[in-house]
Amino acid sequence: METRSSNPPKPSFLVVDGVTFGYGREPLLYDVHLRVQAGEMIGLLGPNGSGKTTLLRLLSGVYSPQQGKIFLEGHDLQQWGRRNIARRIAVVPQELHMPFAFTVEQMVSLGRTPFVNFFGALGARDERIVKDALQAATIESLADRIFNQLSGGERQRVMIAMALAQEPRLLLLDEPTSHLDIKYQIETLELVQFLNRERGVTVIAAMHDLNLAARYFPRLLLFQRGIVADAAPAEVLEPGVLRRVYGVDVQVGILRGAEHISVLPPGSEIAEEDLFGERGPRPLVHVMAGGGTGEMMMRALADAHIPFIAGALNIGDSDHTLALRLASEVITEQPYAPISQLIQKQVRASLAAVKLLIICPMPIGPGNLALLQEAVAAGQRGLPVLLLHTTDIAKRDYTGGEGQQLLDALVRMGAKTVTSVGGAMDIVKQL
Amino acid sequence: MKIATRNVKIEQRPDKQPIKGLRKLSMPLILLILSVLLCVVILVAVSFGSTRIPMGTIAQILLNGTGIFHFARGWDPTAEIIIWQVRLPVVIGTALVGAALAVAGVLFQGMLRNPLADPYLMGTSSGAALGAAIAFVLPVDTVYGSFFSLTPLLAFFGAMLTVLFVYSIARSDGHTPIVTLLLAGVVINAVLVALQTLVLTLSPHAQFGLQALFSWLSGGVSVTSWPPIFVVGTIILIGIAFSLALTRVLDAFALGEEGAAHLGLNVERRKFVIIVVGSLLTAAAVSISGLIGFVGLVTPHAMRLLLGPRHRLLLPASALGGAIFLTLADLLARIVIAPAVLPVGIFTALVGAPFFLFLLRSGKRDYRW
Repeated sequence: METRSSNPPKPSFLVVDGVTFGYGREPLLYDVHLRVQAGEMIGLLGPNGSGKTTLLRLLSGVYSPQQGKIFLEGHDLQQWGRRNIARRIAVVPQELHMPFAFTVEQMVSLGRTPFVNFFGALGARDERIVKDALQAATIESLADRIFNQLSGGERQRVMIAMALAQEPRLLLLDEPTSHLDIKYQIETLELVQFLNRERGVTVIAAMHDLNLAARYFPRLLLFQRGIVADAAPAEVLEPGVLRRVYGVDVQVGILRGAEHISVLPPGSEIAEEDLFGERGPRPLVHVMAGGGTGEMMMRALADAHIPFIAGALNIGDSDHTLALRLASEVITEQPYAPISQLIQKQVRASLAAVKLLIICPMPIGPGNLALLQEAVAAGQRGLPVLLLHTTDIAKRDYTGGEGQQLLDALVRMGAKTVTSVGGAMDIVKQL
Repeated sequence: MKIATRNVKIEQRPDKQPIKGLRKLSMPLILLILSVLLCVVILVAVSFGSTRIPMGTIAQILLNGTGIFHFARGWDPTAEIIIWQVRLPVVIGTALVGAALAVAGVLFQGMLRNPLADPYLMGTSSGAALGAAIAFVLPVDTVYGSFFSLTPLLAFFGAMLTVLFVYSIARSDGHTPIVTLLLAGVVINAVLVALQTLVLTLSPHAQFGLQALFSWLSGGVSVTSWPPIFVVGTIILIGIAFSLALTRVLDAFALGEEGAAHLGLNVERRKFVIIVVGSLLTAAAVSISGLIGFVGLVTPHAMRLLLGPRHRLLLPASALGGAIFLTLADLLARIVIAPAVLPVGIFTALVGAPFFLFLLRSGKRDYRW
């Protein structure tokens, strides 16, 4: 290993380069890019099912990317080998169920597993490191207690101590505070912060609590099947971004006398129409896309600083993740679900407010046929419609002709057909 | 106040130190005690039987056998033959079987993180039973030139083939999920039991076969010579040696497969090794003893209750404990209605269950899965 680490240009500590991954055939993460410098402390945010845990599993090498690569200290993670990864990366799970009555000290010494020899005997150095880990996590007094009998917060400290015994350079935590009461939440994060500051351990932690994330993590990653935002808390915890990603309205501000940003839940139920009310520049364009067909169009609109609404898009669609990043509003439907009545209503409200509808050459199936029906209805009301036509309709119509009929109806109503994103942009700029 | 707190601290320290020291010392000590206990149990087991031979005589005969000691022969020469040719092979075989089953139990319980896991879980029992059933209905009784009769051979290979089959069924995409493994084991068990019934029903020797199979299924070491003990003993001792090298892996498996992977283990490879070693131990044991239940399930639990969960101590202690337990049960089976011999399986359950329940209820240690 020593010879490996002697290459002169010092690359980033951890690089995620275009990683795509899914458990089955359906991809779960798209094209994730990330650079982490040694000593950073990063909070990973995102709704349930956004792929945070999966990203951590990829980073810890338990799963390997289907596309793209992850580099640790300049070398492909897959080539490190399990044991060598475990000597550098430690993982603290969300919760741990031990089937046997291990004592705390025995648990922590399990952290030395990647270092011990074939016969599994701990040397004097190992013992010292275990002792040190117990001390750092301030659980020496628990050393002889049974792990299963401890409280949640104590267990969390033991798991962190166990990870520490691995002498990791990177510590990955999967929602370390989600089962803890407020006191232990703070204690746990203080401990993690201490390890980061005093020992230079790089930390990446998946977090649910936005306020704690804002308080303890200088860099936040907002995740929804891909990276939506990657910046300091003030930039990531922006009401518009949070609304698009989490689908709720929140208030963000600094409470009087506090140092950190606070995120407050909405005070009351917000009326449906309000979702497209006066928030920043009013979007002029609505984009219907899906399956990656909207990528070029949305990037072009964003580059031209033209605010747009995208949707409805399913969570997990690569267009959805991109739209969260680029669009001013995203109408979001659950993964793999057909467009529901409620979402259809939101699309209708949006189409009533915009000046132009762009329909990307998306695959049309029974699930999203409702979008085209809304488009036809809007076209009848006089909304200009632009059909981006790069793929033959017959090849992407899975509705047995129904989709094609709706598109034909749009053309008869005067919808313009363009064959390139550039052509579409020319029309958009005339607005 | 200050003085008081100081006093308390001073009092606490010497209180804690000896406990820690004892715990560190205790591993070799515990193993030594168990080894001595095993020797005593073996002596007692050899002593009892159709004719009772005094322990002193046995000790002298055995020590003479080492070639180092030369006690004057003050005993009936038939006693020497009974000990060397009749009783010792059975007792040693029993101890080996007990050790093998207990270690296999530790391996499977540790790997599967399941308290109900026993050595027969993955189809070894039904595979061995099918092999034995085939051996019983075949017209030939022994393979010419081998000292093994057909039954142990077929039982051994039946067990090993079944486990490998179950493993290959459960494996998909480079992974062998525990749940799939367990379910595949249950299904294959059912299929093999059906096949075994079919074989016995269709066989012309069914009457004889059923009788023989029943006594085989209820278990008991039935060897009459040393060579099978040497062969099976070698397999078992090698298997236990391999298991001792797996203790740290088993500890890490307690964290779950993902946790073990985070500690740098190649989980799938280790799982395969554990399954192969555990099955080899079980198959070797089953080949000379038939299906003896309970030893492999309860010995690891009892040892865990007494000594804690660390496999470095648990595994060798279970090996010794299993040997002691089965030797005792076999002794009871031979003497309770002597000269008739009862199936040993009766006593592993009748003696083992109350003892285990006693431990479970009286243990102050928390024992939850």
